[in-house]
Amino acid sequence: MIASFHQIVYFVRTAVGGLRASPLPTLVSIATIALAVVPLGGLLIITGNMGALLHRHGESRQVTAFLDADLTPDAESALARRAAELDDVTRVELVTREAALERFRERLGGGALLDALEENPLPASIEVTLASGAARGAAAEAAAAALRALPGVEEVAGGEAWVEGYARALALVRSAGLALGAILAVATLLIVANTVRLAVYARRDELEILALVGASRTFLRVPYLIEGAIQGTLGGMLGVGLLYALFQIAVPQLGDALDLFLGWSQPEFLSSARSALLVASGAGFGLLGATLAVARTRVS
Amino acid sequence: MNGRGPVGPPRSGPVRSPATRRAGGDPLIRLFHVSKSYGPGSVALRDLSVEVRKGELVFLSGPSGAGKTTLMKLLFAAERPTEGQILVLGRNVARLGERRIPALRRRIGVVFQDFKLIQTRSIEENVALALQVLGRPPREVRSKAFAMLRRVGLQHRRHELPAALSGGEQQRVALARALVNEPAILLADEPTGNLDAELTIEIMDLVAAAAARGTTVLVATHDQALIRRYARRTLRLAGGRLLEDIPGGSI
Ligand SMILES: Nc1ncnc2c1ncn2[C@@H]1O[C@H](COP(=O)(O)OP(=O)(O)OP(=O)(O)O)[C@@H](O)[C@H]1O
Ligand SMILES: [Mg+2]
Repeated sequence: MIASFHQIVYFVRTAVGGLRASPLPTLVSIATIALAVVPLGGLLIITGNMGALLHRHGESRQVTAFLDADLTPDAESALARRAAELDDVTRVELVTREAALERFRERLGGGALLDALEENPLPASIEVTLASGAARGAAAEAAAAALRALPGVEEVAGGEAWVEGYARALALVRSAGLALGAILAVATLLIVANTVRLAVYARRDELEILALVGASRTFLRVPYLIEGAIQGTLGGMLGVGLLYALFQIAVPQLGDALDLFLGWSQPEFLSSARSALLVASGAGFGLLGATLAVARTRVS
Repeated sequence: MNGRGPVGPPRSGPVRSPATRRAGGDPLIRLFHVSKSYGPGSVALRDLSVEVRKGELVFLSGPSGAGKTTLMKLLFAAERPTEGQILVLGRNVARLGERRIPALRRRIGVVFQDFKLIQTRSIEENVALALQVLGRPPREVRSKAFAMLRRVGLQHRRHELPAALSGGEQQRVALARALVNEPAILLADEPTGNLDAELTIEIMDLVAAAAARGTTVLVATHDQALIRRYARRTLRLAGGRLLEDIPGGSI
């Protein structure tokens, strides 16, 4: 049956009427969905920020080769050219000893300590950017090895160990999130299904009468599906709202502990797309729960 | 005005009214050797074969448990026969798919002893339901519901809830809901069972008026006085069997 506009109006009005007719179960249902959204959204925030960090640092695809201190500037340039010819290398930047010192000063702001030194202790380096896809694993190691094999290269630092460890932690958090998400989804489904089943039960006389006058299955069921979707949407929105409030309160409090995970970068809340996705999945689970409820309730 | 509409006097003479002349047309309802059992030891209908033609008004009579309600439920596919075939409006109801039941019911109006009105909705909304399920536009729904309520004399009470109405008035609302779609068939199961003699006549006159407009009507009733008064074809059931098929005018 293709619903006419009047029918859609009727469906929505019936659904809203149904929700208002049983405010308590409806509120419990919305609150449950919200409480499921908060930890899920929290995990999304954590993985999102971890992922961003990994992207900024780990996947910047840089390998740094530190050069012998006694190379001439010409020899340094020659090394940089050779590095550029290696496999998987897309970009090479030579950081001279002076440039390295300058950077160091900038980062430390002033650098009175360095001024006290007679000689620049920093080595020159070649910063090599690898082709995407070669940033991790065997290709990165091969590139590092090739750099290391160049005469005049003292040490190569790729930070792979750190990146790998962090990436593994992120994967762990993600799979924990998935598992938690699955559990919360089932709980949400059951709660919504139960609320909708109560609503069906409360209106069974009305449903019987509607069936008598020739209401189709769709006509009987759609209002309940809308009820489920409305509960899911409101629950999702409430959940995201709660999460935002929690985020605003918690981030300043956590401070240093966060630094450990995020490395001094400012944590960010969910993007609006992800927030919308959370609300939409609330709606989806509400709809699914309602579908379960009406599928298990014989109406006719 | 109490606007009960064009209601003719009960017909008592030999059957040659306009309604019965139309009754020469197609059978709208046909049962072939229909049996219905609700389980072992609970046989409601046994080997019933009967035909009802367009525009006929037929009484179903018989003691409690005779199978009157069961017969009606079979006709609007609320129950399935255990054996036999049932044709209603050209459909084989015995085998009608679940999804095709609504379309059948939209052409059959039903009225029960207990009215079956939605208590939380106004009189007008109750009547409008039968049109709403068809997805008719609100203007049409409202005007048809209003016209129908005027036909049963309740247009001025359309905004009230069913509980505010007397039994007879509630049954008039139920009748309005059953007829607002202009159904081909009206099934009335003890429509006057809860009403006193005067209200009974009031309701039955509306039912007879529907038959006079060409609706095929089945009325289940215990009320022998009612059957005598209207003197229409009567199917006498007992223990699930058709004992007698008495033609109109001969009672
Ligand atoms: N849902 C059911 N389950 C089991 N048995 C049923 C059911 N409905 C009816 N019956 C049985 O079928 C038989 C016929 O019942 P039915 O309701 O059709 O009779 P009736 O003629 O309408 O009676 P009444 O005048 O009391 O309304 C009875 O013996 C009844 O007990
Ligand atoms: Mg009965």
